Amino acid sequence: MRYLIRRLIWFAVALLGLSLLVFAALRILPGDVASVMAGTNATPARIAAIRSRMGLDRSYPQQYADWLGGLLHGNMGVSAISGRTVASQIGAHAAVTLPLIVLSLLVALGVGIPMGCQAVLAGSPRVRSVLHTIAIVGGAVPALWGGLLLIMLFGRGVGLIGILPSQGFPDAGWHAPRAALISLILPTITTGLVAGAGIMRYTRACLISMEDSDAVAMAMACGMTRRQAMLRVGLRLSAAQLVSVAGLTFAQMITGVMVVESLFNLPGLGAMLINDVGNRDLIAVQSELFLLAAFFLLLGLLVDLMHHALDPRLGEQTQHAGGEGSTHDLGIR
Amino acid sequence: MTSVSDDGKRSKRFGRGGHTTGNVPLRMRFGVIIRSMWHQSVGRFALIVMACWIAVSLLSLFWTPYPLLYTDGGHAWAAPSAAHPLGTDGVGADVLSWLMAGSRTNLVIALLTMLVSAVIGLACTAVMISGRRALASAGVVVVDALIAIPTVLLALLFAVPFGTSISVIVAACGMTYGLNMARIVKPSASLAARSAYVEAARAMGGERVARVFSPISCPRLSPVLAVQLSMSAGTSILAEAGLTYLGVGVPSGVPSWGHTLTTSVRLISVYPLTVLWPGLTVTLVVTALYLLGDTIRDCADPLANVELRKLAAAVGRQTHNTGADA
Repeated sequence: MRYLIRRLIWFAVALLGLSLLVFAALRILPGDVASVMAGTNATPARIAAIRSRMGLDRSYPQQYADWLGGLLHGNMGVSAISGRTVASQIGAHAAVTLPLIVLSLLVALGVGIPMGCQAVLAGSPRVRSVLHTIAIVGGAVPALWGGLLLIMLFGRGVGLIGILPSQGFPDAGWHAPRAALISLILPTITTGLVAGAGIMRYTRACLISMEDSDAVAMAMACGMTRRQAMLRVGLRLSAAQLVSVAGLTFAQMITGVMVVESLFNLPGLGAMLINDVGNRDLIAVQSELFLLAAFFLLLGLLVDLMHHALDPRLGEQTQHAGGEGSTHDLGIR
Repeated sequence: MTSVSDDGKRSKRFGRGGHTTGNVPLRMRFGVIIRSMWHQSVGRFALIVMACWIAVSLLSLFWTPYPLLYTDGGHAWAAPSAAHPLGTDGVGADVLSWLMAGSRTNLVIALLTMLVSAVIGLACTAVMISGRRALASAGVVVVDALIAIPTVLLALLFAVPFGTSISVIVAACGMTYGLNMARIVKPSASLAARSAYVEAARAMGGERVARVFSPISCPRLSPVLAVQLSMSAGTSILAEAGLTYLGVGVPSGVPSWGHTLTTSVRLISVYPLTVLWPGLTVTLVVTALYLLGDTIRDCADPLANVELRKLAAAVGRQTHNTGADA
């Protein structure tokens, strides 16, 4: 409980710090949104009018307060370039990115955990070492290249077995669920497999560290086979660590997701963000960056709370060791 | 630990080594570690790839098959041939030359990322294990909070004011990997902080944090540091490729593997197999970096490496006989 409260307080502090960082970083920005919006032949008067309409002529603390106040009311401002509200823009793009991320995570966990277990429990040493090699090499493949290879194999029109679409998202969006889902297959496999290799490596490391544990020995003494003991007891005891790793994988997957979105021409959050950064769309970038980062902070918070819930030992430790238990002492093997 | 020191200078002089290898000169230990890495197939693979990487980087400073700015306008998008082993890109520049020159950029990025992440990671660890409980628990929670911010968001945030540059990649990667490292090194560091020899050193005066990172206890941390640093280096290469493709990585005109990979994406419809080479290069080097960390961990550990113990024993006898030991 004490951990929860402390964690929540620091979450709020981190959010505030983050908003300051985003705000400050964007004010050092060379280039003026107002003059971009007004076009190349604008008169200074028109630029000034736009500046005052957007609130850019006020002092920085005033602007910061305005922005933060707007955020608290759910008003994220209006994009200077497209004229749409930032909230609707984020919503439209998240409809592509969120399913992509969730599906990829499912693929990553679905492939990574069983194969990671197999890399420890398989009978023949050869299978074990092949699986270990797959885990390491798989984690070393750049998402961009992995995606390209998949396009060359399965992409409609270019691939050897051209059966899947490799470019774009249906215009109808999720109103055409079948087409939408099919267009996400290759991107999902790309990010899912790359992240899955990481999960596989962690699962393997976790299980290996469980091999000599008392808990597994106890379970085997009670009549379980080694395999059963490792899967039912060892894996359950590693669950807390695996949740943390999955959370971090999820956060780092976003780089891969952005690359893959761009490669497969999907109108996702990554495409939106890159586009707005390129256009120097101050208002939009500010809210988008903050919102995304806040999302990941929240995710980190949830993962840590889940980690604590899954591992009752941590609760006791924090009582007398001052947050000692919130770390994950998992060496990457 | 044989030489618990009474002042900083002496600990530097004698404390370089590990628990059992305290008085072996670093140069000799290094030789033994490299040799035992060479005797493992995995370690040999990693060492060979590293050596090739460094050699090509150095070579590219003096010689590439074509000068980087040489373009052969008549042969844009050319297929691989004797003249251009990996073909040419959209402006007729030689892909092999750019790939070779890219290796030095990536070497610089990897080394700088290792440095930055080590500094950030060890600083965070030092805060998290400091004696002041309020500071320590604040450090833990701040690291826990910030660790979730993805590299690419940081890179975008830095790229807006500062433009695209190598330092943006290094800053973004260094920060994320540093926080990661802090989280993973912390348990070993707090064990070291509680260990008897650090307590002893502390009792003789000196900060606990300083003692933990002093040469006495570094051998305790070095295995996990080796793994983490090699992961940082490897992941920074992957991040460079991704960020460059997204347009927030190395500026255009600077050769890098990410740049070559990005160029080859446009080449895919013309000559698909060209895509293989930059991707294979990156995968090979990153794999080697991951394995390098693992083998260093195994070979630098005096408990696991018999050769290292033998050396320590030999040097110990020698210094004992000549009476030069502390």
